[in-house]
Amino acid sequence: MRFLALVLLLLAAAGMSAARAADELPIFDAHMHYSHDAWSVVPPREVVEILKKAGIKRAMVSSSNNDGTRMLQDVAPGLIVPELRPYRSRGEISTWAKDPTLIPYLEDLLSKRRYRAIGEFHIYGADADLPNVRRVVELAKQYGLFLHSHSDADAVTRHFQQDPGAKVLWAHSGFERPEKVREMLRRYPTLWCDLAFLTSHVSNGKVAPGWRDLFIEFPDRFVLGSDTFTPERWHYVIENARWSRQWLSDLPPDVARKIAYENGDRLFGSAQ
Amino acid sequence: MIRFPLLLLSLLGLWAGGVFAQQLLDWTPEEIRTVEKHGPWPPSPVRDPSNKVSGTPAGILLGEHLFNDPRLSGDGRVSCATCHQAGREWSDGLARARGTVELDRRTPSLWNIGYLHWFGWDGAGDSLWAQSIRPLLDPREMNGGPARAAELLRGDAALACGYEKAFGSAPGTDDERLLVDTAKALAAFEATLVSPRTPFDDFRDALVAGNREGASRYPLAAQRGLKLFIGDANCNLCHLGPRFTSGEFGDIGIPFFVRPGEVDPGRLGGLGRLAASPFNLLGKYNDDATGNNTRRTRHVQRQHTNFGEFRVPGLRQVGRSGPYMHNGSLATLEDVVRHYSEVSPDRLHSDGIPLVRPLGLTAEQSADLVAFLRSLDAEPLARPRPAPLCP
Repeated sequence: MRFLALVLLLLAAAGMSAARAADELPIFDAHMHYSHDAWSVVPPREVVEILKKAGIKRAMVSSSNNDGTRMLQDVAPGLIVPELRPYRSRGEISTWAKDPTLIPYLEDLLSKRRYRAIGEFHIYGADADLPNVRRVVELAKQYGLFLHSHSDADAVTRHFQQDPGAKVLWAHSGFERPEKVREMLRRYPTLWCDLAFLTSHVSNGKVAPGWRDLFIEFPDRFVLGSDTFTPERWHYVIENARWSRQWLSDLPPDVARKIAYENGDRLFGSAQ
Repeated sequence: MIRFPLLLLSLLGLWAGGVFAQQLLDWTPEEIRTVEKHGPWPPSPVRDPSNKVSGTPAGILLGEHLFNDPRLSGDGRVSCATCHQAGREWSDGLARARGTVELDRRTPSLWNIGYLHWFGWDGAGDSLWAQSIRPLLDPREMNGGPARAAELLRGDAALACGYEKAFGSAPGTDDERLLVDTAKALAAFEATLVSPRTPFDDFRDALVAGNREGASRYPLAAQRGLKLFIGDANCNLCHLGPRFTSGEFGDIGIPFFVRPGEVDPGRLGGLGRLAASPFNLLGKYNDDATGNNTRRTRHVQRQHTNFGEFRVPGLRQVGRSGPYMHNGSLATLEDVVRHYSEVSPDRLHSDGIPLVRPLGLTAEQSADLVAFLRSLDAEPLARPRPAPLCP
């Protein structure tokens, strides 16, 4: 009887320890924006406070225009991983791919500052073969950058057709079903997926079955994200981090750690 | 000599056929089917199985008395009717509600509220009675405290008598039970608030019945606005059915900062409060023993999109119910239409087909849409004072 009680006590302690570890999981957030309309209502120092409170050890940030990323780097250089956004205002989501002034703008910034990725940009289907997008793929190759692509599977396929060695971070995992994501991950070894703005992989606080299998098959290929696409969403970062830790605790600890921050650290490196 | 009568006859013929024809736009069978779905009106009375006094005359009467009773509030000065005024479309005409302090949201109208399935701007209530508890207790609204309603029901002879008629026994000693019963009586009354028939309803019925003459009485501007509403503008994607609402939630690009450093999380916060509430339909106060009405509450899941979403309001009496949006940030119907015409797509996440997109309306189209919306208004009948509870 005493032995049984001891075993139960140890099991309970182990469970609590796992839960506590999940609570304390640091996070690499690979999908953040700090665009022009956020700068005055959520100033850089407030952003840094939010990131710290959320337990985000590093964040890959893009901004429209890119001054927002620089402003955050100035305040917290070790915290921010810079990503080059091909938009000067968020309104360019639907025009950038055909804008003749875009490429010189990107080339100029790339010649002046260091970035880890180009994106997040929005492109779908055959538009991924437009000259601007092709040039962005070339620039990513030239500078050794990731392409952070908010796309359907067709557009992602076209990125790889243009550069089979491209490193693509598929924003929101394409909002695809896990079966499709698996197919893409198996086909393209340099494709990674962010889980920003997705909830389909979680059901009642648990990882949904199809996604669980996917995370376990590809533990090195997923990263987290908050997607602060409006200024208000900075005030969702802490809640989102808490929610992420909750569902991550339903995965084997090594898989949870990889998705939470190890993959982001490995792929995008330090902020410097 | 023959020419004049012929001319007269021709003119009369034009008047009889042509003028009416000009007053009725061409409506395709598909459009008529779509318009038909916005009626009939009024709908059948609704009864909430989770509320045993819903639809009962004694419960409704008790609810109306309680609705107007300021003694339910902490300082004895605020009743439900303070903010939900019959003469102001069961709202208050203010951009932001005023309880004990100014709140962050507008007072929602109570018209047709009994037909909803989520309650409050954020859907924190899964029944009308559960939603009615919140303002009673909220320190920023009526600040009544958990025992106030019970003390009133037990201490006031007329209310105690009304309670016994409605619930079948005298008020007991369980304060929480009496708080819930107070809310159930309030809900029974609120569910009777059905907005009047409108010019749109006459048009809809005539159009569906093939009554061209009747339909042609509906102003052309309203007809054009309705065509936009169900056509290019696609407003009926969310504002659907006889009440012109899905009863669900949406982010339509309205900023939701309430003050520097603070946002109103909308539906996301509502889901949290719903789950935490002892008064939700999964709790012990649900009177429906079958449990059939718990499906939504059991299965609703949080989504990232819920952050900053607010309930899609019904549009009946909308022209009389400003200011608009969850926070009263738009003063007039014209402002609302302008918002949808010019909304920034940047504020809306590009995931799949967006529910809202800038409509880019012309001035005439905007005026037509407003004319249609105003055709959903009508003058309500004056309400008689409620009968005594126990004459």
